[in-house]
Amino acid sequence: MFLKNCLRIFSSARIRFLLNNNVKASTFVNYKSVASLSTSKLALESEKVKVTFVLNDGKRLETVANVGDTLLDVVVNNDLNIEGFGACEGTVTCSTCHVILKPEDFERLPEEASDEERDMLDLAYSLTETSRLGCQITLTKELDGLEVKVPETINDARS
Amino acid sequence: MRNRLGVVKWRIRSLSERKLTTSARCFKAIDNGSEIGNNFPARAAQCPIKVQRARSTHAAVGTVLDTVSSAVKSWDEVPGPKPLPLLGNTWRFVPYIGGYSVEHVDKVCMSLRQKYGKCVKMAGLLGRPDMLFVFDAGEVERVFRGEDAAPHRPSMPSLNYYKHTLRKDFFGAEQDCAGVIAVHGDSWAAFRTKVSKVALSTSSAAQYTVPVAEVADAFVNRIRQIRDENLETPGDFLNEVNKWSLESLGLIALDTRLGCFESVEGSESQRLIDAVHTFFLSVGELELRAPWWRIYPTAMFRRYVAALDTILSVTLRHVERALKECEANGGSKSLLQDLVSAAGSRVAAVAALDLFLVGIDTTSNAVASTLYQLALRPEVQERLHEEITKVLQGRPLTPGDINQMPYLKACIKEVLRMFPVVIGNGRQLTKDTVICGYNIPKGTQVIFQHYVMGNSEEYFTNASEFRPERWIQRSMYKHHAFASLPFGFGKRMCLGRRFAELEMHIVLCKIVQAFKMEYHHQPLDYHIHPMYTPDGPLRLKFIDR
Ligand code: HEM
Ligand code: FES
Repeated sequence: MFLKNCLRIFSSARIRFLLNNNVKASTFVNYKSVASLSTSKLALESEKVKVTFVLNDGKRLETVANVGDTLLDVVVNNDLNIEGFGACEGTVTCSTCHVILKPEDFERLPEEASDEERDMLDLAYSLTETSRLGCQITLTKELDGLEVKVPETINDARS
Repeated sequence: MRNRLGVVKWRIRSLSERKLTTSARCFKAIDNGSEIGNNFPARAAQCPIKVQRARSTHAAVGTVLDTVSSAVKSWDEVPGPKPLPLLGNTWRFVPYIGGYSVEHVDKVCMSLRQKYGKCVKMAGLLGRPDMLFVFDAGEVERVFRGEDAAPHRPSMPSLNYYKHTLRKDFFGAEQDCAGVIAVHGDSWAAFRTKVSKVALSTSSAAQYTVPVAEVADAFVNRIRQIRDENLETPGDFLNEVNKWSLESLGLIALDTRLGCFESVEGSESQRLIDAVHTFFLSVGELELRAPWWRIYPTAMFRRYVAALDTILSVTLRHVERALKECEANGGSKSLLQDLVSAAGSRVAAVAALDLFLVGIDTTSNAVASTLYQLALRPEVQERLHEEITKVLQGRPLTPGDINQMPYLKACIKEVLRMFPVVIGNGRQLTKDTVICGYNIPKGTQVIFQHYVMGNSEEYFTNASEFRPERWIQRSMYKHHAFASLPFGFGKRMCLGRRFAELEMHIVLCKIVQAFKMEYHHQPLDYHIHPMYTPDGPLRLKFIDR
């Protein structure tokens, strides 16, 4: 809870900052958290979407999630049992939140991967053309019904 | 020259060892492992998805483990220089007789790799756990991926002693408030969580674009002032780069323009610069040589403690000021204020101390090294200049612009691949782990040799050539992502990475815009000082564009 509050404080700081600098708003596409946090503020209450995680062993975890949350938020808030997911708490240093999207979903994500995300994806296990980091995908209403695959981990490969 | 002598001397010494058979065996076993892509096509084909990056290594890691696990060898069998009775291996770092020069650990590691293979045991270092040097990127990857909730990076016992014994009243006063450097386990994890969301978010770094660019402009002016009549910088140019680095970090961590470029002998900023430098110089010596300081406070140790005290008192003063401003203005508009309001002023002060301990020399040496490498390569400068001009078109830098400059980013990556300022990184194993087919006991310090791996033909096409393009057209060049990790990886990755990159990108952008660089003196070798950096006076010629 405490952390949530902190996050809120930061997000408002960021929004202010955006307002001051919106001369070149288009380049901000890359700054994930700016966009995501502001959306989440607007749509915190009501809007829900369905998201499904398909695990490596074929198991399907179906959840209902808030618009404005990241896929990592969804996993944490719903206590989904996905081993090792999100080790760095969304600070883009670990790539354990790696998910694989269907090509058509990959194309329609509102934001492209930032350079930081790309650097980290390069270190992801079982990387594909349609890989993204779950902590950097923010849910929008349009993404209702999204299905992502959680790829094998090094532990799966071993056993 | 000194370095070469050193290595040779050490080689002669080690002739007397009888480990030859073991090391030969190790080579074989490991070579199998490295060619797994070819050796285990079946496994590779099993991978469900196609990727641009050669991920055959990944897929096969498990297989290798399986094949090896039936014959996992013991810790005793790991090849490496043999410790002497009583003296262990620490004597090797004694000046002149030992042959291992602390300053040239890079060359020592290269020759260890050649002599013993992909994993090398360094046992019997006085006062510290045994070490395992790992030169195999696939194994580095496996150790990183196996990390638990609180990875333990072996750190400096001397800093440990400072934080947890000498000044424990301060660092122990509040729970989980000792910082991230030389802190481990739950206490590290709790502190890191408080700080990392703020420090590692890309947007919080981006909001410093304009002020960091101002510091870079001031640095460009400073370069104009200090050039001699040949337009060359004086030999102590690195100290000027340090000032830029401290000025930038002061801005980020303390919300303060310290005024480093105007600083004179004895001023607070110069004292801070000197203190950070003293800290760094002594750490290497205190850690690798025999730890006499554990028995009595040597002169070096006293200087070291005094330096830490200086850094701590200066940062504390600034944090208090920021706290007052925060109360007066309310809200938060900077990293420091974010930290103060999120986690309290003590956390903010300790975080600032840690950032100062590791955030100044790293960045400044990376920049110095980059400028030197660029000065040797006019064609790279031209390409950079073209890219920057195209993006900015004569207007000032704004947040986001750097993201349109892939070549600039690639140049920094390439410098850090070939000359990583931190040549190795490590983890202290929290459980027994099989590495390179040997069972490595818990508590061993595993050191990932990024300098050696980053320069290895096995992991990078034309490894000895400076080719920033490799980071842009990845498919055309072989590269193993875990062979070059200048900022580390995972939960414990460099906390200042976003700031470091922002600072480096911006200052490079400004310098390339303003000058053509040349270098007309003896080629410089690199040494560990304790960052990996050009050895000798950096007399670069800056010609106005
Ligand atoms: C070119 C510049 C830099 C390089 C190459 C570098 C490299 C590294 C590396 C290799 C680590 C160890 C990571 C790991 O264990 O996986 C590290 C840790 C760290 N770095 Fe940096 N660093 C740089 C700049 C900075 C700056 C500017 C700051 C501060 C603003 C900083 C703050 C830290 C901190 C606090 C840690 C410890 C993190 C922890 O243990 O939780 N670094 N850095
Ligand atoms: S949670 Fe670590 S990169 Fe997404």
